[in-house]
Amino acid sequence: MSAVIPEEIRQAVDALQQRYLRALDGKDMRGWLECFDRDGSYFVTGADNDQDDLPIGLMFDDSYERLQDRVTYVTQVWPGAFEDYQTRHFLQTLDLQADADGLWKSLSNVTVFATDLRGRSQLFIAGTYHDRIRVTNGMARFCGRRVVLDTFATPGVVVYPL
Amino acid sequence: MNTPDFQPPPWPSAFNEAPKWAVERAEIFDPEMERIFAGPLWHLVGHRAELDAPGRFKTVQLGRVPLILIHGQDGVIRALHNACAHRGTMLEPRFRGKAREFECPFHRWAYSLEGTLTRCPGVKDFPGSFELTNHGLASARVEEFCGLLFASLHPDPPVLEAWLVEIATPLRAALGGDGRLKLLGYQKTIFETNWKIYIDDEGYHAPLLHRAFQILKWKGGAGSQVRSSQGHRVTETVMEGVADNLGLLKDPELMRYWGGEHPRNKLPHQKAGSLLVTPWPLGAVMNHLDIINCRFANPLSPTQTEVHYAYFAHQDDDPELVRHRVRQSSNLIGPSGFISLEDGAVFGRIQKALHAEPDRIRYLRGWQDSSENDPWHVSHNDEVTNTVWWETYRQTMGFERATS
Repeated sequence: MSAVIPEEIRQAVDALQQRYLRALDGKDMRGWLECFDRDGSYFVTGADNDQDDLPIGLMFDDSYERLQDRVTYVTQVWPGAFEDYQTRHFLQTLDLQADADGLWKSLSNVTVFATDLRGRSQLFIAGTYHDRIRVTNGMARFCGRRVVLDTFATPGVVVYPL
Repeated sequence: MNTPDFQPPPWPSAFNEAPKWAVERAEIFDPEMERIFAGPLWHLVGHRAELDAPGRFKTVQLGRVPLILIHGQDGVIRALHNACAHRGTMLEPRFRGKAREFECPFHRWAYSLEGTLTRCPGVKDFPGSFELTNHGLASARVEEFCGLLFASLHPDPPVLEAWLVEIATPLRAALGGDGRLKLLGYQKTIFETNWKIYIDDEGYHAPLLHRAFQILKWKGGAGSQVRSSQGHRVTETVMEGVADNLGLLKDPELMRYWGGEHPRNKLPHQKAGSLLVTPWPLGAVMNHLDIINCRFANPLSPTQTEVHYAYFAHQDDDPELVRHRVRQSSNLIGPSGFISLEDGAVFGRIQKALHAEPDRIRYLRGWQDSSENDPWHVSHNDEVTNTVWWETYRQTMGFERATS
């Protein structure tokens, strides 16, 4: 990580990453949405598509309205139709540096374990987060989070964002 | 079908019933691989748009046989057995890529894109009778329909045109009229379910399991399901979205059908909706709204099915329509799809309960107590057309129906 990153920026970004993971593992979709700025976007795609520059994603939220609709999918549309599972996200930041327009650019590894309703856990996905982050008055939010899945053949359905 | 270890129980006498043992018993997996996946029929394995230039390949597994679908220098797409002709080492482990040749790492034998053996280190010390030309890669049969690639491991499959004749018109329409497509990308998943559960979907469940289909007014709208004599199915619906999306979505564009002057993916008389064409046994071209989607499925084991959802645009699309197709494809269909996620959740729940009574699946919606049943032609909301799929399966496998 670059030494020129101001400490308050590093702390704000760390706090954002923690809020994000806490929201997802706590199934708090409002909290997940609040991690994004109003011009925020969220994409999940497989490493296979990413490598070949193919645009299809597993989740493709290119506007704040789409992000809001993802909250609706999870909280209002799908409940009762899927077997719930508990996620645990593990993140390791590999790089944080200044980006254009006063934003910050971050790269992290992520793994997610999933536990089913009978208490059986398995590695759900492994991948990377490619983030563009805005810090305003000490509060960091995502302008863009792009999740690239090494696990491009997912183990069944993926209900919650990653 | 009898093996020393397995005597199949009788098949239910009622035409609208399928036995759960045909889903659950692992003993029939090998015979399925032989009679269906290596049998005298065609399997949907790809589209030419995935292999858009010489050297472009993707690997697939047809039944138990790993294949390389490769676009040769001569423009022909072949299905080469993915194993060196020498010691059987898999040649290409990647899912998709570009190649100039296929070289085996073990003894560095090399093959052209057309499967000809071109290089053999140490060949001067081989038996004098050895000739490169006799040791090329084996291949499966491949034929195309509007760019769709159908493969067969059988030496004598039916003529593809004849195999598809009853679904040719909707299949062509679903592929933009001419099959000139452009690959947009993939979603891939492995369902913990038998392959027959994966393909056993029907119209009855659509508006009940999927809340999104209520927005699309699937229930009650116009539509039909037709089975061909080969067991293929065509489902048409004239879905028009509910204007306010039931107040659910902030971005209603996702549920809109553009169609119109653009390259369409529907039959001419369809104003909007879905056009779903499923060639027997396991292929699927599933076009909801503006999505152009092929599903390539492969039984990994009696309890696991891998599905690749491939998405396409038409080559004549303007950039705005491509963007619309990308947004709709990514968010509506597949393992996280707004209108499809629930399917994947149900597959696993059926698989886990196969030993529970009753011992059979009953297809009821659209079935009459009288003898006047025609499961080949039913409404889009019915489920009995699946009995024709099962009858094709039963006959192919040689299972005997009990007499009532």
